[in-house]
Amino acid sequence: MYLKINHISKTFGKEQVLQDLSFTLEAHRMLSILGRSGSGKTTLLKIIAGLEMPDSGTVELNGKTMNEVPAHLRNIVYLYQEPLLFPHLNAFENVAFGLRLRKLPETDIHQKTTEMLESLELGDQSKKMPGQLSGGQRQRVAFGRALIVEPQVLLLDEPFGALDTETRSAMQQLLKRMVATFKITTLFVTHDLKEALLMGDEMALMQGGILKKYETKAAFVQDARTGVGEEVAFWAALGIGN
Amino acid sequence: MALFLGLTALPLAFGIGYSLLHSTGLAGIGSEGFTLRHWGSVLTGSEFWRSLGFSCWVAACSIGLALGLALAAVVRGPERWQRGILSWLIYLPLTLPAMVVAFLVFQTLSGAGFASRLVYRLGLTGGIEDFPNWVNDPWGVGIIAAHVLMATPFFIILFSNLYQNERLGEYAQLAATLGATARQSARRVVVPVLLRQAFPTLVLYFIFVMGSYEIPLLLGSQSPQMVSVLTIRKLQRFDLADMPQAYVIGVLYTVFVVGAVVFLLRKKSGERSLV
Repeated sequence: MYLKINHISKTFGKEQVLQDLSFTLEAHRMLSILGRSGSGKTTLLKIIAGLEMPDSGTVELNGKTMNEVPAHLRNIVYLYQEPLLFPHLNAFENVAFGLRLRKLPETDIHQKTTEMLESLELGDQSKKMPGQLSGGQRQRVAFGRALIVEPQVLLLDEPFGALDTETRSAMQQLLKRMVATFKITTLFVTHDLKEALLMGDEMALMQGGILKKYETKAAFVQDARTGVGEEVAFWAALGIGN
Repeated sequence: MALFLGLTALPLAFGIGYSLLHSTGLAGIGSEGFTLRHWGSVLTGSEFWRSLGFSCWVAACSIGLALGLALAAVVRGPERWQRGILSWLIYLPLTLPAMVVAFLVFQTLSGAGFASRLVYRLGLTGGIEDFPNWVNDPWGVGIIAAHVLMATPFFIILFSNLYQNERLGEYAQLAATLGATARQSARRVVVPVLLRQAFPTLVLYFIFVMGSYEIPLLLGSQSPQMVSVLTIRKLQRFDLADMPQAYVIGVLYTVFVVGAVVFLLRKKSGERSLV
């Protein structure tokens, strides 16, 4: 297995946020984790990224235990709910940020960043500052900034939460396409059932600090706790679904 | 709007207008009719330019040192300034009047001050004459020290609040996952954002230091003097012929300060709207 989470637990004060949590994920797959606010999703992602330390348990990546590896050496990129573009850098420099840290030659940085911006349909926006971009454009820049460093794992923490429905749908399609193109192993956290089903190759549910991963999407749909049954019943009652 | 202009722009315009009239011999005691003699005297002499240069030097050194200390303090441990004992202790230095700080620096750095006595006791100097001249000195060391003492806590509070409001902790974490070490994160993200957001305040503080009076009055040397001290000295001289020169200096200093502020803030706003 490419990513292996072994018996992770985490407590903040008296509150146990993660309880003996284990799962695995194969390379180049996207795992959707559905969960409500406060279910421990963000803490889990931060532990995998190296931004929080677990009280117990291990994070293994490609056979190597990562617990002692600092965040900046893991090559696991964590994207917040908001794009968090660096406000003092334009779109080009935001995307190029990770490449500059790696001290690549200037010509390589320019070429890779330009290509990335083109693939995100942002070629004509490269000189704009974050405040001059729309919400969807900012999110695309954030993806470009993450993908350009070719992360071993991409962690997405409700990345479309602040977008309107139309932009959200377009961004979901774009993300799926980009992740497939760059072959990035991804954990996608959301509280939106439809989005979870749409994005994930594999499905998991998180409740009260406990994560359950499903063998198949059908198993996820059939589990009453996921809320799929209620959703289907709602649309059926309106005479729209069947 | 009218009230704002009445309370701010009008008195300033009146002051500058009166200074212009006085400096050209059209107003004031012993006015002699229109003349540019006083302007010529100030502009061609070295005293004003040395004073202006010295004021800039003091302000630049004070702000530079205080900025460095405050940035280091906030970047190395932002949370300690948000909660705990330091979060309220840091406000205490701001309650000290400038004159008290100046007096404290005088007591500490003068030839017979605490520092001199301490190094003498430690056997590092043989007497007062061996201790460096840090008060009333031509480089303004004492003035700079006093301003650094006053500015550093202010900047720490400013940067600490900006750190929280701008969510720089999250930016730093994001930068780390993109591959940045703590040093790279500070250099490439945290410090640039703090400086960018604090820029207008830094410009205003620079002007505040340039125009300060009590501290350079107590800790400054006879020559060069900071602009404020020089202006007051000329105003209070027995020779009434010197008074118009004080008004010339006042007008020139105002033009310099307003010009610098407009230039810097417009430059900054231009950078922000870069397309």
